[in-house]
Amino acid sequence: MNLTLTVNGAEHSLDVPANTLLVELLRTRLRLTGTHVGCDTSQCGACTVHLDGCAVKACTVLAAQAQGRSVTTIEGIGRPNGTRNGSPDDLHPMQAAFRDCHALQCGFCTPGMILRAMELVESGGTLDNRTVREGLEGNICRCAGYHNIVKAVLAAGDAMQEQSR
Amino acid sequence: MSTETGIGAAVKRREDLRFITGRGNYTDDLNVPGQTCGVFLRSPYARAKIGAIDATDALQVEGALAVFTGRDTATDGLGDLPCGWLVKSKDGSDMAAAPHPPLAVSQVNYVGEPYGLVVAESLAAAREAAELVAADFEELTPVVATAEAAEASPIHEGLKDNLAYDWELGDEAATDSALATAAHVTRLDLTNNRLIPNAMEPRAALATFDPASGNYELRTTSQNPHLERLVLSAFVRIAPEHKLRVVAPDVGGGFGSKIFVYAEETVVTWAAAKVGRPIKWTAERSEAFLADAHGRDHVTHAELGLDGAGRFTALKARTTANLGAYLSTFGSAVPTYLYGTLLAGQYKTPNIHVQTHGVYTNTAPVDAYRGAGRPEATFVVERIVEAAARETGRDPVELRRLNMIEPDDFPYETPVALVYDTGNYQASLDKALHLADYAGFKQRRAASETRGKRRGIGFSCYIEACGLAPSQLAIQLGAGVGLYESGEVRVNPTGSVTVFTGSHSHGQGHETTFAQVVSDKLGVPFDDVEVVHGDTGRVEFGLGTYGSRSLAVGGSALISASEKIIAKGTRIAAHMMQTEPTNVAFEEGAFISGNQRLTLQEVAFASYVPADYPPDLEPGLSEKAFYDPENFTYPAGAHIAEVEVDEATGVVQLVNFVAVDDFGHIINPMIVDGQVHGGLAQGAGQALLEHGIYDANGQLTTGSYMDYCMPRADDVPDFVVDTTVTPCTHNPLGVKGCGEAGAIGSPAAIINAVTDALGTEDIAMPATPEQVWRKLSGL
Amino acid sequence: MEQSGEHLIPVERATVWRSLNDPVVLARCISGCQSMEQLADDRFAATVKARVGPVRATFEVALTLTDIHPPESYVLQVEVKGKAAGFGKGLAEVALAEAEDGTTLLRYSVAGRVGGKLAQIGARLIDSAARKMADDFFSALHEALDPAADRQQSANPS
Repeated sequence: MNLTLTVNGAEHSLDVPANTLLVELLRTRLRLTGTHVGCDTSQCGACTVHLDGCAVKACTVLAAQAQGRSVTTIEGIGRPNGTRNGSPDDLHPMQAAFRDCHALQCGFCTPGMILRAMELVESGGTLDNRTVREGLEGNICRCAGYHNIVKAVLAAGDAMQEQSR
Repeated sequence: MSTETGIGAAVKRREDLRFITGRGNYTDDLNVPGQTCGVFLRSPYARAKIGAIDATDALQVEGALAVFTGRDTATDGLGDLPCGWLVKSKDGSDMAAAPHPPLAVSQVNYVGEPYGLVVAESLAAAREAAELVAADFEELTPVVATAEAAEASPIHEGLKDNLAYDWELGDEAATDSALATAAHVTRLDLTNNRLIPNAMEPRAALATFDPASGNYELRTTSQNPHLERLVLSAFVRIAPEHKLRVVAPDVGGGFGSKIFVYAEETVVTWAAAKVGRPIKWTAERSEAFLADAHGRDHVTHAELGLDGAGRFTALKARTTANLGAYLSTFGSAVPTYLYGTLLAGQYKTPNIHVQTHGVYTNTAPVDAYRGAGRPEATFVVERIVEAAARETGRDPVELRRLNMIEPDDFPYETPVALVYDTGNYQASLDKALHLADYAGFKQRRAASETRGKRRGIGFSCYIEACGLAPSQLAIQLGAGVGLYESGEVRVNPTGSVTVFTGSHSHGQGHETTFAQVVSDKLGVPFDDVEVVHGDTGRVEFGLGTYGSRSLAVGGSALISASEKIIAKGTRIAAHMMQTEPTNVAFEEGAFISGNQRLTLQEVAFASYVPADYPPDLEPGLSEKAFYDPENFTYPAGAHIAEVEVDEATGVVQLVNFVAVDDFGHIINPMIVDGQVHGGLAQGAGQALLEHGIYDANGQLTTGSYMDYCMPRADDVPDFVVDTTVTPCTHNPLGVKGCGEAGAIGSPAAIINAVTDALGTEDIAMPATPEQVWRKLSGL
Repeated sequence: MEQSGEHLIPVERATVWRSLNDPVVLARCISGCQSMEQLADDRFAATVKARVGPVRATFEVALTLTDIHPPESYVLQVEVKGKAAGFGKGLAEVALAEAEDGTTLLRYSVAGRVGGKLAQIGARLIDSAARKMADDFFSALHEALDPAADRQQSANPS
């Protein structure tokens, strides 16, 4: 089927099999390998991306469902076209907070965690230790024990509110 | 040296920039031209004879390229997957090792065991073809339960029973006699639940073969690529080492499960030459559950003798350890040398005897998972000490303190073959008690009761032996390899430094900490030091990362190599300054003699452009070192857990957790805290949530995240972590290991808290709401 | 996995018995059945497309009748192979009793087990999936035998 969608601000028109998952499209066709696959039952959250600003698990969404819509992946946040590995100045506040707070170790869950956390902050609810922990329930991290992830999300929450003021 | 980036500084990790921007390179992210996809055929039976395998229909699928079975690998002479540690039974006989072919040939022995590989142009085609392979199985009765396996009929042809070994350590007669005369004996039956490691990145392999050169290249999720290459070459006989390059790119967590040499990467590498195309295989999570090596799975009966004053007189442990269907790479060593040797814990128990029966069952192989033997040992010691305190009416803290090895006792030789070099266990305990506000516990308990909750507090004063390992000792005890580490420090002509290490980082942050160490030692800017790891084509040799060994062993090798750099640089500098090397000092990155000063960068340049150069010296400034530790390092600490149990639902909430650990000197406190946090969450998972369950037919019923309960953000609290410091006495950095401590100490602390809250010792891990609710309801 | 139930079928016992031995009727009543072949008097082979939770596959089903007591009862041995999806094995005891007004009371009890992916991911869902398949089967049988009748049935979950 023919599919037109926007990914990280760039429009793509592609011919894909109808049963293609969004995560396959991103990883295999568009080579955006920052979105990871950590399970096969939609429970780990490593594949989380934004679809029209909402966090979705890209392993549960058909590429066809993104027809005419806008997808944002970990590669598309922060200032685009940063330096090779991303200069600290180009980072989204959530990315910066993850680094500052040592909220990642192996880094595999991190892109999904960051995108989910951004939505959590942007949704505008109360942010405290408890709500952040509940809000991150759909994303598994095996390395960090969540302690520093919660710290990072709270710190980024402050920074993002500051920025939007 | 700048204190902002040197030893002891909380330097932000340089690897983070690629991970937080989605630019990591994990194995499945890599693609090469002409690549094909592999899908493994896996046994749906726990135990069955393999009959005919018909791939005719499978090969009709468009895009299907090949179907390989165990008969093909056997015909081609592929060797078995070896177990790297030969454990001997107490009668002196070698362990009974069942052959472990990469693909099952005549019989499958656990659900998920691979018996074939399908290769196709695309993943979809490979899956479709795999569906069409018709395999006949004749189902046999499986052996599943750990406790009953030894008595059951043997699962492997040619073995007389399911006992791989009957191992012991310590003085049985002395221990029995001390127990017989003890004023009090506490007896406890304990189960250490089977865990499934679940690194978030599933295992993967991308293998290529170049027919022109005959070279193989395997990119894979490994914690130790050199060991992988050694085994694929020497044991599986795929290709000699110089024709085989193994690269472990970014690896998304390991926790032990990526140490081992598995069937999948082995077969994919072999098949790449057969098909003449690169093959990529990436495990689905379901496959990871079935076919990654699992952890723990012990059943133990323990007895602790105390004299009238409460001093421990003897500890005896009888353990049956489930090894799974085959001996995995280090599976034999985990419930023996990494377990029995730790049963002294932090205490001066004079008599200890441990017996381990390693048994085969029709379940996935069991091997090292974060802590590997030491969490099991800590669970035995710290559970029975807590139970003894309760039985004899003593405060659990005071009973521990009474029996602890004291700072003046070091070096302390235990009755179970270790010599602890240093420690101050009381200091960690005191600090932890303060941070946990032990004095205020009674009030908190009363407050909980008013809310319908029972509150409990539990302690765990753990010790571990890590920094694996002194090679001579390890080899004497059966290890098939030395356990040193290699390091190379290369000062480039313009003064930047490239560091090569045989350690491997899969989340630990070596690219940062190792750069801190070398930049500190050589006085060069942190940003001028790059760390290379995980590539047999670039790093000379290495034993990899496990057993909390990277810094203590790999870091020490880098110190040795740096010292050689300084020694050679001193001779070059002396020549340049027209003085004797003995007159030259090296300080903060410069060679100094009197008022003359040459920076390391200047000396490096001179070494590569040797216009005026010592006649007896080779050009260049690059040095290698192998570091073999004298002893293990012995991190230790005090963990205190506080839980609230909801009487109505049985839900256990971990409300506070304090960990005070002694890791010796610390290179990067931010990273060390993170390692502890992660270990604690895995320990909390073991204590409260995680359990790998096989049903009576050997089917894994906890084979997805629907049924295997991983710790999530709201299952754990903020952790209170702190440290005390007694520097390791035998490595140049004075460091111990920090990677496993959290997972080693915490399960016992949490279960001690749950049993304290419930007033019964009879709580098994994981303390699920159902189990706790049944206890509360008297069911 | 164990379950049992009973259904009142508003036709006489001999008719029900004939239907339960008729591959055409069976094929029509098993949801997702793509083919049904009678290999011998007491053996059938079927291809069934079915779904248990996230596991969806085409299963090869072998049915063997034993302990046949026409028109009262038989025991059905069921072997299900789903290749990558795993396997299932079961025994179903089916008994027909004459009931009021020429109707027939069908009682069944099934004991079975699953393996492979069905057990790994589907184990928690297998009971409800099996119950649904049984219910669908008897509803369809009911309808096949008496299209005009109300689709009254009594499932009796054990």
